Amino acid sequence: MKIWTTRSPRASNRWGVVVAALFAATLFAEVAAAHEAPKVPADFDPPAPGTYRLERIMQAPDGRIVDANSKRGQLAAYTHGKVTLLSLMYTACSDETGCPLAFYTIDMIKRDLEKSKAARGRVQVVSLSFDPEHDTPEVMRAYGGKHVKGGSPVPWHFLTAASKRELAPMLDGFGQDVSKAAKGQADKELVHVLKLFLIDKEGWVREIYSTSYLIPQVVVNDIKTLLIEDGVKVN
Amino acid sequence: MFSDKPIRRVLRGCLAAGLLAAGVFAPGYQAAADETCNSPFMSNLIKGQEDYVYVWTLGVEGIGDGSDKLVTIDVNPASNLYGQVVHSLSVSRRGEAHHMGFTEDRRYLWAGGLDDSRIYIFDVYTNPRAPQLVRTLEGLPGQTGLVGPHTFYAMPGRMLVQFLSNSNDHGGVTGMAVFTNKGDLVRTYAMPTTNGGDGYGYDIGINPGKNVLLTSSFAGWNNYMMDLGKLVQDPEAMKRFGNTMVLWDLKAVAPKQVFQVPGAPLEIRWSLNEGDNWAVVATALTSKIWLIKQGANGEWQAKDVATIGDPSKIPLPVDISITANGKGLWVNTFMDGKTRYFDLSDPENPKQTYEKATGKQVNMVSQSWDGQRVYITSSLLANWDKKGENDEQFLRAFRWDGNELTPLFEVDFYKERLGRAHHMKFGTDAIRAAYEDLDDTLAARE
Repeated sequence: MKIWTTRSPRASNRWGVVVAALFAATLFAEVAAAHEAPKVPADFDPPAPGTYRLERIMQAPDGRIVDANSKRGQLAAYTHGKVTLLSLMYTACSDETGCPLAFYTIDMIKRDLEKSKAARGRVQVVSLSFDPEHDTPEVMRAYGGKHVKGGSPVPWHFLTAASKRELAPMLDGFGQDVSKAAKGQADKELVHVLKLFLIDKEGWVREIYSTSYLIPQVVVNDIKTLLIEDGVKVN
Repeated sequence: MFSDKPIRRVLRGCLAAGLLAAGVFAPGYQAAADETCNSPFMSNLIKGQEDYVYVWTLGVEGIGDGSDKLVTIDVNPASNLYGQVVHSLSVSRRGEAHHMGFTEDRRYLWAGGLDDSRIYIFDVYTNPRAPQLVRTLEGLPGQTGLVGPHTFYAMPGRMLVQFLSNSNDHGGVTGMAVFTNKGDLVRTYAMPTTNGGDGYGYDIGINPGKNVLLTSSFAGWNNYMMDLGKLVQDPEAMKRFGNTMVLWDLKAVAPKQVFQVPGAPLEIRWSLNEGDNWAVVATALTSKIWLIKQGANGEWQAKDVATIGDPSKIPLPVDISITANGKGLWVNTFMDGKTRYFDLSDPENPKQTYEKATGKQVNMVSQSWDGQRVYITSSLLANWDKKGENDEQFLRAFRWDGNELTPLFEVDFYKERLGRAHHMKFGTDAIRAAYEDLDDTLAARE
């Protein structure tokens, strides 16, 4: 079983990616952010894909979104038809256990899946901003960098909303809290529990990850578990 | 093996400018104390001064409206209402109020009834001083086959609930259920009855870094709703207590190992000290502290490491609270009304260093993150509480200076016409300010 380790030779090559991702994630950072969930070291071998069941937790909500090319559409178009890893985020987030960590982790997962024949064309990644005022399509495009250009067998979509009004039902549907930072911190800080959602091709949320359990190997195994469930042979 | 430490170093280096100054909500590490006994998935831990203590209170016929209620006590010394009841929300029925737990974002507080198997979901962020009931889950025995929702444990986007009993025979064989944070049932899990499992349940403790879920075991409805005097005289009933703990694969929610831990192991507390990977539990009937720890060979073991009081007198340890640094443990014993402190510096060999009689009967003990404030309540179960003048019902607050518990204030729950004081959770005004300000902030941006 392959387990990522930041102490391995492979991992040493990742530090360039880490830094690049962090720069991407922080390039547009104007404020500090606060995520409160604790982060713990993972010290176990995750169960193998297909050896466990992921429950149908809830239907992913729908709502009006705007993509990085300013094209309006429905979120449902990004939560159906493929296995989707969806991250709720904002580009100005600079908390070490928040959105930059999610960006880095997603990038690791995506690059791993791109090597998997089973995942190609069957898995996608979505980053949806909950700060529509700041995170315009232009900002999301810049934030996504090379990932926006497309062409990957595991595409990464960068979405925002046109307004808080259009965003609110989606946040409510996902159960995503967002609050302003406590007094004494910068006035633009947004506090939220970091959450990523694993969604099956029928639009069911099958797993939810927060900082305490955002472990790349676990997420990859979960994605492969859903592919196996769909009858895909996973190596 | 995946380790995040190098990541954290790089992240710290790159993001130094963005790191948080310590605030009311400060990041926590690993499993978080009562403030230290919350789920490790929970955010917004209160590491400064708590503003409120919520007390899930059993209704008593003839006292007030006789119903279970969520009582808010102002515990901030800076408030002119310090030490007073500032809100009481009745649920208009009596269902054996027992335990509570926050959702991961601390916006909602779930509270259960062991008799009527109802679960109440309170909004505690819109107005932390005056929580609002937003949903009541009813009919759970019919939907799940489970009775007596006890532990409410936050997981990402959902709540894991440990039940105590079942709807078939009201015995101790039971299970867990997962709900979305909004209260929709996702699925149930049976407690193991094979490989040494007795099927009983009580508390939940998760160590995500080890992918481990621990459960403990107590008794079914037939026992916990029975008068304690009758129960102890019923040899057959006294056999129907849990004697096991189960170690589960968290990811798969599958039992991996069953430990024989005789005498009803109750609250589970993982050490919060970063790098520690052990938990302690106290057994109610045998008056022991057990350590659950992973050995050098990777195998998990449970071992009896200390005695609480004189077990022959059945002091009945009922609640424990671990310090944030994992070096100390409060233990409340119901029968002798004592609050004990154990030095946990060597978890293999806990030593009692202090004790004080804090009431004629004491049950729950909760401490602040800094360990300086200790809160104690009195009620165990409606039919197990003492009778007559020994049936004190209170919340008592103490200051702990490392040597002595000094009384700060007391709320008499009978004098206030409230009922029996049971489980406590902390509240803060900071969470309201944060969400209110957000509306203003986002509206201004539009």
